[in-house]
Amino acid sequence: MPAYHSVFLDEPNQQVIGNFALLPLRTRTRGPAQQLPQMTDTTELDIEPSHTSYDPLDEILSLFRANTFFRNFEVKGPADRVLIYGILFVSEALSKIRPGNSRRDAEKSVMNVALDTNFAIPGDAGFPLNQAFEAPKDRNEAEILRQYIMQMRQELAMRLLNRWWLSFQKRKFMGKQL
Amino acid sequence: MAPQTPAVVMDNGTGYTKLGFAGNDSPSFVFPTAIATKGPSAGAAGGTGGSGSGRPAVANKPSFLTGGAGPTGHLSGKRGTEDLDFFIGDEALNASAGPGYGLHYPIRHGQVENWDQMERFWSNSIFKYLRVEPEDHYFLLTEPPLNPPENRENTAEIMFESFNCAGLYIAVQAVLALAASWTSSKVQDRSLTGTVIDSGEGVTHVIPVAEGYVIGSSIKSIPIAGRDITYFVQSLLRDRGEPDSSLKTAERIKEESCYVCPDIVKEFARFDKESDDRFKQYQVQQPGGRSVTVDVGYERFLAPEIFFNPEIYSSDFLTPLPNIVDTVIQTSPIDVRRGLYKNIVLSGGSTLYKDFGRRLQRDIRHLVDARIKASEARAGNAAKSGGLDVQVISHKRQRHGPWFGGSLLGQTPEFRSYCHTKAEYDEVGPSIVRRFALLGGPGST
Ligand SMILES: Nc1ncnc2c1ncn2[C@@H]1O[C@H](COP(=O)(O)OP(=O)(O)OP(=O)(O)O)[C@@H](O)[C@H]1O
Ligand SMILES: [Mg+2]
Repeated sequence: MPAYHSVFLDEPNQQVIGNFALLPLRTRTRGPAQQLPQMTDTTELDIEPSHTSYDPLDEILSLFRANTFFRNFEVKGPADRVLIYGILFVSEALSKIRPGNSRRDAEKSVMNVALDTNFAIPGDAGFPLNQAFEAPKDRNEAEILRQYIMQMRQELAMRLLNRWWLSFQKRKFMGKQL
Repeated sequence: MAPQTPAVVMDNGTGYTKLGFAGNDSPSFVFPTAIATKGPSAGAAGGTGGSGSGRPAVANKPSFLTGGAGPTGHLSGKRGTEDLDFFIGDEALNASAGPGYGLHYPIRHGQVENWDQMERFWSNSIFKYLRVEPEDHYFLLTEPPLNPPENRENTAEIMFESFNCAGLYIAVQAVLALAASWTSSKVQDRSLTGTVIDSGEGVTHVIPVAEGYVIGSSIKSIPIAGRDITYFVQSLLRDRGEPDSSLKTAERIKEESCYVCPDIVKEFARFDKESDDRFKQYQVQQPGGRSVTVDVGYERFLAPEIFFNPEIYSSDFLTPLPNIVDTVIQTSPIDVRRGLYKNIVLSGGSTLYKDFGRRLQRDIRHLVDARIKASEARAGNAAKSGGLDVQVISHKRQRHGPWFGGSLLGQTPEFRSYCHTKAEYDEVGPSIVRRFALLGGPGST
């Protein structure tokens, strides 16, 4: 059994920029993502993939630890790229936490990464996975993609801080870091 | 004639030696297959390096045969006193921790690599631990699958000429492991047909056996076993910066806390939800007396997961154990396959993880069912097969399976008639041990 793939691969009517899927998110952050309803009958720890509020960020947080142990990952579609990007971001955020940091310091470091607007998106020279990710067609698309990814980063950081996964700081997914 | 003495059963593994008497439920001694001799460790001298007594290493023959001593008398009589300055087992580990002694493991990948050291290891096993006179006992020794006949002959030379043992039987570990599973209630017929998964310290073998005979061409071994799982636990402890990540601590955590889960993603989620039950702490007494606390977490289920997802540990070996088992059976003769799927028997220390057998059975079943479905689809609905019974046998004697199987077979009334005796050996020579009649096979009780 190889690494785990995204359940959103077969999602109909995906909006795609380059070959990155702009899937709906359950978030109150501002940006281009279509919004999923907040959940009322379950929790972030319990939400099942079949739930209407389940989003790619839930998936990233549930697959993150398992997938960082696999060396190979065959990208099967645009939704898998959302998964890959999210996993790399989570590793990066965790890597900012130093052993011995207080909870407050840890939160500050993670939010700093998430709010930093200076990050690379597919097609940028500094993006680590350009072999697997296509660049946006034009500046307009690039801007939308950047804003979507910004939403992902902020929402992921907030959900991540509800959990505590320091043991995974040292592992790099597919040998890459953002 | 004196009343029959019990047969001595010796199972020498890469990691551990199991010593005892036929008829007993468990071995009298279990200790590392290690020997400490004067001089440096094996590391410097290589696997078959010098033994520390100044004599050159002997790769393929016991040293006394080239040393010119006569064929009778005890080992101690033929050696200089410097040869007695060695320790085996746990005592060897202790001795090598101090100055002056080097530590050696005479068995690699299940096979004897250094006969000089092995001879001394056996000598101590017999005289110092079991405390028996070999003239008075028959011996049942074990060997790995595909052991070269020369190794059998070397063993016989040492057993008969050095130790004068009364009689000798050498059995394949996998066949003994099948016999050991007869104690399970799931096993209805005492058959010697089945697939043995023997996983110890150094290697994991998957061995198909039909009517007591190993199907040599279909055996597969995988380079993942107990030692790798210990290393993996250690690497996770290190990544987290635990205050103690020694091999000893890693091994203890492995043996006491690890288990096999149905799915690692679900298991991570379970740790989030039931953290109080799932995470553990160990107190470790460090050399020097300081006591530290080590957190134990995901390694509990991730470590044995490397059997099922080798990719998380190894970059060059990627095939999961269930697929290996399926391939081994598929490459065996078609008329025995049903029996091989029905009786998949676990053996060895590294099969002891909780739910190891259950996961293995589930995964092999999935592979088999998928193949049957595919072939039915190809043939159209007319060709519905009856399905295939996949059964993995976990049982109480699994840990020392080969030893226990030896104990069972070595206590039967006919055991001695299956052995070669000292007299026969003297008449025919070492080649006599190239063949043994099948013990516990059809025709015997
Ligand atoms: N309860 C346990 N859970 C997991 N592993 C265990 C347990 N008890 C022992 N082991 C491991 O089993 C291994 C030893 O098994 P075993 O005695 O079958 O090996 P061996 O016969 O010496 O080696 P080999 O079969 O490779 O030649 C060690 O790695 C040990 O850590
Ligand atoms: Mg063994």
